[in-house]
Parts: sequence; structure tokens; C-alpha cells
Amino acid sequence: MSKKIGLGKKKELNAELNLTPFIDLLSTCVCFLLVTAVWIEIGSVEIKQSHGTEAAASKKISYDLDVVFRSPTAIRLNLKRNGKKVKAVDVKSNTFEEALANLETNLTSKILSYKNKAIEVASATVTPRTGVNYGDLVSTLDVLRKNKIVNIGIISSRSR
Amino acid sequence: MILNHSLVAADAFEKHLINRKRKVAWGKKAAAFALMLTSMVDMFSMLVVFLLQTFSSSPEILITKGVSLPNSMTPSIVKEAPVLAISKDGNLYLDQVLVGETKNVARRPEKLLKKLNKIKSAWAESHAGQPFPGEINMQADRDVSSTVVSQIMGILTGGQFQSIQLAVVGNR
Repeated sequence: MSKKIGLGKKKELNAELNLTPFIDLLSTCVCFLLVTAVWIEIGSVEIKQSHGTEAAASKKISYDLDVVFRSPTAIRLNLKRNGKKVKAVDVKSNTFEEALANLETNLTSKILSYKNKAIEVASATVTPRTGVNYGDLVSTLDVLRKNKIVNIGIISSRSR
Repeated sequence: MILNHSLVAADAFEKHLINRKRKVAWGKKAAAFALMLTSMVDMFSMLVVFLLQTFSSSPEILITKGVSLPNSMTPSIVKEAPVLAISKDGNLYLDQVLVGETKNVARRPEKLLKKLNKIKSAWAESHAGQPFPGEINMQADRDVSSTVVSQIMGILTGGQFQSIQLAVVGNR
């Protein structure tokens, strides 16, 4: 630290920050972070295509849901208890976006509160159809996952 | 007095004047640079903070060319696994390598199953004594028919790849 002339032995209070190493460090950080930056966040939606579930083997009452595409704008929901169908709900709309909104409403009001009682759906199977594209299928899976139905399978054409 | 700017052709007094002029000019420039440094440091700091906030250390998978992934509101973290991709032009790729046309593979899946078996045996060699998790990442174009995707899923299930991760673009 430099001394001012005429101040005797007193040290100057204003310290000068050496900016050069600071800028070096920041530029290195910026370069590294720019190179390793992820601009498109890729996620995943898990599908379990297992044959014979553990839920079916247990004695506890379990509910399963079948989501069947009849057309891109018509979806049928079949609620099953221990493998037997107990309720069927048809969701119909003019557009796919409307159908999705209706699906969510019906799911919360008619399926997940079956007989005015909150139930947990152990697993769901989705049956696709020609005319329903993959993007719409993923949006449907999204609605199920949003309602805490995470054990989802897709019925494949080969196994039908 | 008009100063000659060449130090070589100048006498002692002229050299002194030229040097003094240069020092004064350099001093003015230096003051201007110091001001610019402050804003530069500010900008760098903000960039570093922004990039640190968006930094992600989760594994990443390559998006196959010709595939535009669907959006999802509920994505999970991607797991490291082989990548099977169905492009819009109807081709099927396994780990960026073309397997064939999707409709042909769906009809005759032997080639795909052979490749999947190779992956499975390589995994078994490197993870001796552990059960095969059957995980695979699937990328498909958002406009591909859902029945085509389900057909390929059927083949994967037959090849003991039962935990299928559908790749989506996070839309949180």
C-alpha cells in the first residue's frame, strides 16, 4: 500500500482492488459455464410395460384406470376395482385441447373421488389409436401424472 | 512551436515535449479504460450468476436429427440408457445409428432385437450378478402416430426393455 506524501507514517485508507485476476477468474467462469450450459431441458416420462403387476397380487383393494382413445377428441375412462370395471366415463369434445381439459375435470371429479371418496389409482393403461399423434399421447400422460397417477403403461399394438 | 512527432529526428528539448504530450494523452486514455472495466466486471458478474443458476449436472442425451420432441409439464430426470429414436421421416435409429424404416422394423423386428440383445449382453458383462434394469430412452417426433410408437414399445417389451423413458422437452 502506498503512502501519501506529507501524511507521515499514517497509511492511506483507500485500498485499490487489483481487477486483473478478478476479471481473469470471471472470464474463465463465463467460458466454462457457457460451454457446459444446457439450453434445452430434456426430461423423461417413465412408462412401465410390465406384464402382471405386483398390485394385482396383493389383497388390498386397488383401483386401475384404462384410458382408451376412441378418436383424437373422444376418450373413454374405465375405472376397475380388482380387475372388474366399476365405472365408465366418456370424455368428448370438439378439439383435442378441450378433450384434455375435460379429461382432467372428469378425472378429479368422477374418477379420483369415486362414490364421494378419495381413491388412489395404482396403475393406468393408455390405449392409443390411429389419428392420435405422439405429442397428444404425451399430453394425456401429463394429465395422469399431474393427478398423481405415475404407474402408467401403454398398450402396444403387438400385445392387443 | 510545431512539434515533430518522430523522436529520432528531434533534439533533446523536443524529445522531452513529445514524451510529456504522450504521457498526458496516455493518462486520459487510462482514466477512460478504468471506467469501462467497472461495467465489464458488472456484466461478467451478472453473467456468471445467471449461468450458475441455470447450471444443470443431470445427464443429458443427444436429440436425434429430425426429431422434435413433445412438451411435458411433468418431466423427470433423464437416465443414462440406450436411445431409440423414431424420426418424422419414418426412420428408426438406435444410439444415432439407423436401424431401418419404422414400418419395416415393426413388421420384421429381428434386426432391432439383435441389436438390443447385444446391448443387453454388453450390460450383463459389465454388471455381473446384477439384474438387468431394462431401461431405454425413447425419442419420437411429436407428429408420429401413437400406434407406431406403441408398436415399437411392444418390440422393446419383448426384448426385455420394460422401463421405457419417453424423452420430452421440459416445460415447467
